[in-house]
Amino acid sequence: MIAVKNLSKSFDLSKKQQKEFGTKEKTVIAVDDVSFECQPGRVHALLGANGAGKTTTLRMLSTIFKPTSGSITINGIDVTKQPNEARKQIGFLTGSAGLYARLTPNELIDYFGKLYGVEKNAIEQRKNQLFDLLDMHEFKDKRIGKLSTGMKQKVSICRTMIHDPQVVIFDEPTSGLDVITAENIIHLIQNCKNEGKTVIFSSHIMGEVDLLCDDITIIHKGKVLFNDTMEAFRNQMVAPNLTAEFIRIVQQEKNI
Amino acid sequence: MIFTIFLKELKDTLRDKRTVRMMIIIPTLVLPLTLSLVTKISHNFEKEAAEKPLKIGVVSNQNELMQELKNVPKTLGAKSFVYYKDSSSLKTDLKNDSIQIGFYVPTNVAELKEKMQPISITVFHDGTDLGMQDRADSYLDYIHNKWQKERYKTLKINESTINPIAKKYTNVASNQEMIGKLIGGFLPYLIISFAFMGCMFPAIDLFTGERERGTIETLLTVPVARWKILFGKMGVVVFSGLMASTFSFIGIYLSIEVFDLVENPEILAVIKDILSPVFIGMLYLLLLPLVVFFAGLMIVITVRAKTFKEAQSLLSPLNILVVLPAMSGLFPGFELNEMTAMIPIVNIVLATKELMAGTLEWHLVALSFGIMIVLAVGAVFLSYKKFESESTLIA
Repeated sequence: MIAVKNLSKSFDLSKKQQKEFGTKEKTVIAVDDVSFECQPGRVHALLGANGAGKTTTLRMLSTIFKPTSGSITINGIDVTKQPNEARKQIGFLTGSAGLYARLTPNELIDYFGKLYGVEKNAIEQRKNQLFDLLDMHEFKDKRIGKLSTGMKQKVSICRTMIHDPQVVIFDEPTSGLDVITAENIIHLIQNCKNEGKTVIFSSHIMGEVDLLCDDITIIHKGKVLFNDTMEAFRNQMVAPNLTAEFIRIVQQEKNI
Repeated sequence: MIFTIFLKELKDTLRDKRTVRMMIIIPTLVLPLTLSLVTKISHNFEKEAAEKPLKIGVVSNQNELMQELKNVPKTLGAKSFVYYKDSSSLKTDLKNDSIQIGFYVPTNVAELKEKMQPISITVFHDGTDLGMQDRADSYLDYIHNKWQKERYKTLKINESTINPIAKKYTNVASNQEMIGKLIGGFLPYLIISFAFMGCMFPAIDLFTGERERGTIETLLTVPVARWKILFGKMGVVVFSGLMASTFSFIGIYLSIEVFDLVENPEILAVIKDILSPVFIGMLYLLLLPLVVFFAGLMIVITVRAKTFKEAQSLLSPLNILVVLPAMSGLFPGFELNEMTAMIPIVNIVLATKELMAGTLEWHLVALSFGIMIVLAVGAVFLSYKKFESESTLIA
């Protein structure tokens, strides 16, 4: 389970960044008093337009960033106080993340297994299961740089799941992927849900959100605009579909 | 965990062609190739200069001096003569390279010789045509010595009586000291330059590259303290720097033992003597904090850069800041003392030079080593602060 309480994150801006962003403010608030909970066996959507604060929130969840204030607990572990314990619980998959092109999938998965502190035998066992599941045996010893986008995405999935995390964070995992590869990710998310893992999912593709998610949090300019179940979201909809309703909520906030 | 990261990064680095080129191929081959090229060019130049028949322009009548000039032995170089009526056409031909030297000999040579007066000879030469003046000197010196002896004989002077002081030099410096002090600066210049270049590509690849490829984000989500990740990566940068230096050593060995490129037997004997396990061990001891210092500084820079190109352009000024002090050892007379021992890089270069010459003063080495340790620790601390900073890593 993930519990986010009154989470805020601000960044200091250098003079160069102030110029780039066209502001005279010395700090920028990326996430402002955000609270939500994600339950095991459920997929929680985290939605927002570009620059809304989604990625910053997910980076705080995955311990890359430290919160300015507020708290995050993952299965009862405070991520600020015990980041390494929290990291053991988390699998983090982003669409923008790269892989080490000069390693083979086999080598890369071994490496991350060791980094997550998984025993050697357990790495072998888990790796074979994942290679079977994702049909990776054929290219497991080829350099990653020579693999297709779909193959690389399978390697990323394998890397995310090698330590069998109880909490899985997906940050726009299907962006830029073809339909078949994106489908692999959808299956993975469904499998995670069926296995009782806590899943948090950020995407711009509302069809995927509709298909996968049980709960939804919409954030805009760092603040929570909506936080409830998908069912409650559908029930309060004014617009005819999810995409239109999402746009309506964000536009409404902009007008205010 | 540091070792796991080190091994992975090393494997990754050794699969990068740019790094392998900079770490192994160039340091190994640059010295043998340079020496081979320089030796070949200088041999050809010397051979050509010695064998080239010299055309000497002469403004003179037929006199005894001309006869002597013709009789100068061939061992001083083949020659032929072209006669001129005046010096202006001689100078024109000299400029056109139709002749290589010109002599203006007075017409009253016989009279001056008879009266035992100095015979003034004007030598025309083109200063850009190197070696020609030396050849003219060698011809005239030959005649000068011969005629001087004749005058001593005529005047019944014992040659030794007109030289009140006979100089005799005894060099108390050993060959090792001479070679170490005079050309010993070349070795530290070579190994420090390669150590720096050896660090450069892995530093860019393991820090900027990690950011450019987007792999840093996933690496920071693993349950490993960031300092361990930093140290694992830094270990590879340091290792690569030391390896590049080692391969430059191998280049020296190949030049001496395989390609036989060092011709001076005294220099050869000293180099062979110097390259002992103790010397190499001492050199690595001095080099280690320097390479850690390089690695720390480079990490501070590469961790901020967003692209490989940006990292390269940021590291270029640092390259100049390293190469210039590394050249200090090439200047004769610039030695390790209490002041130079405080200057980073210069101190290691000069300490290495002293080590080669066998004139090491241990308190100065300890001071140099201490300074470099302090700087290395400072650079590592700075790199740690930068690597810890979330805004630097993910911006």
